Amino acid sequence: MNIMTDMKKFTSEPRLCDDLTVCVAGQGGDGSLTIVTLLSDVLAHHGLNLYRTSNIASRIKGGHASALVRGSFEQHGGLGSAINILVAFDDEAIRLRGPYLTDDAIVIYDTSRGPLPEGIVPETVTLLEVPFSRYSVRELARDLFKNSFGFGLLSRVLGLADIEADQYLTNRFKKLKGRAMEGNRQALKLGFEVADEFGLTVGHQMLQLPKGEKKDHLFITGNEATAFGFLAAGGRFYAGYPITPATEVMDWLGKNLPQFDGVMVQAEDELSAINMAIGASLTGARAMTGSSSPGIALMGESISHCGSAEIPMVIVNSQRAGPSTGMPTKVEQSDLGMMISGGNGDFPRIVLAPGNSHECFEIGALATNLAQIAQCPVFIALDRALSQDTMTVPYFDLDSVEMDTGKMLDAAEVAELDEYKRYKITKDGISPWAIPGTPEGMSLVTGNERNEWGQVSTDLANRVAMMDKRSRKLETIKPMLPKAIVYGDTASKVGIIGVGVVGGIISETHNLLEQEGYKFQVHRPRVLFPLLQETLDFIASCDRVYVVEHSESGQLERVLSGAGADPSKLHGIRKYDGTPFWSDELTNRIKDAEAAK
Amino acid sequence: MTTTYTPTNPVWCSGCGHYGVKGAMERSLAQLGIAPHETMLLTGIGCSGSVQNNINAYGYHSMHGRVLPTATGAALANPELTVIAAGGDGDGYAIGGGHLVHALKRNASVLYILMNNAVYGLTKGQNSPTSGTAVDAVADAPIDGVSMGLAIPGTTFLARGFTRDADQLNDLMTKALEHVRAKKGFAFLEVLSPCVTYNDTFPDWDARVHNVDADPDYAPNDRGAAFVKTMNLNSEGKIPTGLIYHEDRPCFEAELLKNDTSPAQLSAHDPKNHLDKLQAVMERYHM
Ligand SMILES: Cc1ncc(C[n+]2csc(CCOP(=O)(O)OP(=O)(O)O)c2C)c(N)n1
Ligand code: SF4
Repeated sequence: MNIMTDMKKFTSEPRLCDDLTVCVAGQGGDGSLTIVTLLSDVLAHHGLNLYRTSNIASRIKGGHASALVRGSFEQHGGLGSAINILVAFDDEAIRLRGPYLTDDAIVIYDTSRGPLPEGIVPETVTLLEVPFSRYSVRELARDLFKNSFGFGLLSRVLGLADIEADQYLTNRFKKLKGRAMEGNRQALKLGFEVADEFGLTVGHQMLQLPKGEKKDHLFITGNEATAFGFLAAGGRFYAGYPITPATEVMDWLGKNLPQFDGVMVQAEDELSAINMAIGASLTGARAMTGSSSPGIALMGESISHCGSAEIPMVIVNSQRAGPSTGMPTKVEQSDLGMMISGGNGDFPRIVLAPGNSHECFEIGALATNLAQIAQCPVFIALDRALSQDTMTVPYFDLDSVEMDTGKMLDAAEVAELDEYKRYKITKDGISPWAIPGTPEGMSLVTGNERNEWGQVSTDLANRVAMMDKRSRKLETIKPMLPKAIVYGDTASKVGIIGVGVVGGIISETHNLLEQEGYKFQVHRPRVLFPLLQETLDFIASCDRVYVVEHSESGQLERVLSGAGADPSKLHGIRKYDGTPFWSDELTNRIKDAEAAK
Repeated sequence: MTTTYTPTNPVWCSGCGHYGVKGAMERSLAQLGIAPHETMLLTGIGCSGSVQNNINAYGYHSMHGRVLPTATGAALANPELTVIAAGGDGDGYAIGGGHLVHALKRNASVLYILMNNAVYGLTKGQNSPTSGTAVDAVADAPIDGVSMGLAIPGTTFLARGFTRDADQLNDLMTKALEHVRAKKGFAFLEVLSPCVTYNDTFPDWDARVHNVDADPDYAPNDRGAAFVKTMNLNSEGKIPTGLIYHEDRPCFEAELLKNDTSPAQLSAHDPKNHLDKLQAVMERYHM
């Protein structure tokens, strides 16, 4: 092991690094995110795209906490294969993150709480050991300064000029006043001094970042982008109830809706949340609710009611690992069945699945319009990673966002009608509707079966006509649904399919497999229900398709076979330990499967 | 004139208390001159939850127990509407009990009429949260909506009527509607509305009601006194009716809607009119 100790000089040439994953880990409260935030700025300034995630135990304080950022030329929508730099503030950080290090990784270890645990990190890594915490307390009287201290050392590893490092720090911490700011700058200098001792002087660095042009992009999470899409498309009412990992949608809209004369209500439970949104939607306001898996399960009856009573409703599901309370902070895609068929009875619904923050915005806006057009529940299926991880994406096209009110009638249109029937049976399955306040537009809206006037009816012929009418909506809206993202070798008879967080990982995996000579065609649907013909055609065109998903029972696979895909062609590649696939892990799983066939 | 649905005749058993509630509703709406198209009547599930079919208004039939959140959402989204929620004691005190507590707490401008018949009518006669009498009960004592309403600090209007006394009920309903329309918040009107088929409480309640409106010394703006009176009457086996409590306080909409534009005013929310503001939101994420 190449252990760097005091005074031992570092001499080798810097390695060029244009795809770098850095992990900062310690105990909750150590401030791991601080270094990662600063580093994100550095990487972005070198023209790289960013993907940032944090892994925080479900406890409030304490427990292992780590933050990771990847900088790469392309946006891969995931972390990639392994960690290149680990800043570890304790031995637990080494135990948990050590196994994911590359062989040539750099490990910066804080020795304050004890020596490096034996036998975990590869022999080949470069180790820099510094008692960050002890020094920070001794020199600057505050443990938290170890973050700026660590950043000082890291900036020399990456070959930043000291003045640059200082600028990143002062820009990012603009709001810090007097002593706090001074303390951080002092800590940064301590980092430089320690770097000097290691021989990491300016011009003698370990890694060389690319000299790319800084791009202008957005650095945003899926939860924020989804909420933003809803707002942009005229969404003005949201009700929710706190739950990991969906809460940020509620918080974001709580902050932003009032600026647009909209309303966010934190309800007493999810039943109340969706029904408040129903109340708003009935008045014509564009409304959304959201939750994570268990909360969506609670909403079941109300979702069915929106389908029956024909009430526009957008429902964001930031899925987490189940069943039941499950693992709130972990990744899983195990609510697909619930979203496409949960709730009592048969009713039309739409389930959309964005694959990155940019699509979250677009699909947030689209769902808001589709709910109005089809007058039914529209799900946006997110997952923990897509919801909470931050990624750089191109600017959103605000100009292209329209507000489509579907078949909503205004007062003049109602006045022109001889008769107004809220549930008029139409060819496309969608009935024109008037909102309360419209003269002569009085109606009855109910979840009971009803006749065209809205009056409760169990008449046999009427029942069948009404069920058929509602079901026709699905065909009507199909042309408006987003198409799949497809790439790879269309001549190949082997396919890969996946949605959500898996989408990015598949694309990187596909690149890796291609480099090794494999040929695949990849299909990432963005609609789970009603499944589009293109997805079935894709499966039909292959001899075998790898269905990559975070579900033990293979819910995506069942969605596909349930929609008519030949089950014998589908091969599940599943992971359900709560963490997303690493791209090399997925590459190996697919290679193994190909070898075994 | 556009033809739309015609309110139907009620489907209740003859003699059902709910007829009295419907009658009072029609009278109060007419007295206050509230236009049908500006009235939204939302109901729960139960025999009580069919009154929207019988009144000329925008009617909505929710799920069992969920009518209060829905009414709250409607009142927040379009404060120009007169929003009335109605349902049974199973709907409001059992399956929807949590929502009632929070509706009182929030104080959104909604009139809530809870038709209490101390039984589940529609499902044919099971016990409800108000079945039995508190005085006799050893365990599982019935819920008293008036004491509960008084115990919640957010309550701004609390009354109880009895379908036997149509004039008092009409008077309470009008006052409650005025409270709601003046944007003073949530008005909770519990109506003793007997189910003659499964639990005919007319004789029992006739003997036990005590009208506080008839007492010149009763001050409905004194919460403490209202509590003492209610507790004392309850312990004597009496049921207080009348305007129990009211106070003036800002409503929930006033807290949440700072401008005249409401969420339901769609023309104001076209994205094309907000591009600058949306752009500014987006810039916060620039990296
Ligand atoms: C979720 C759900 N559970 C149960 C029912 C069955 N149900 C219909 S009405 C009702 C109770 C009705 O009693 P109440 O609310 O007191 O109204 P009433 O019929 O007495 O007017 C029940 C339990 C239902 N419709 N939905
Ligand atoms: S069953 Fe009871 S509550 Fe229902 S309509 Fe008949 S009398 Fe009224």
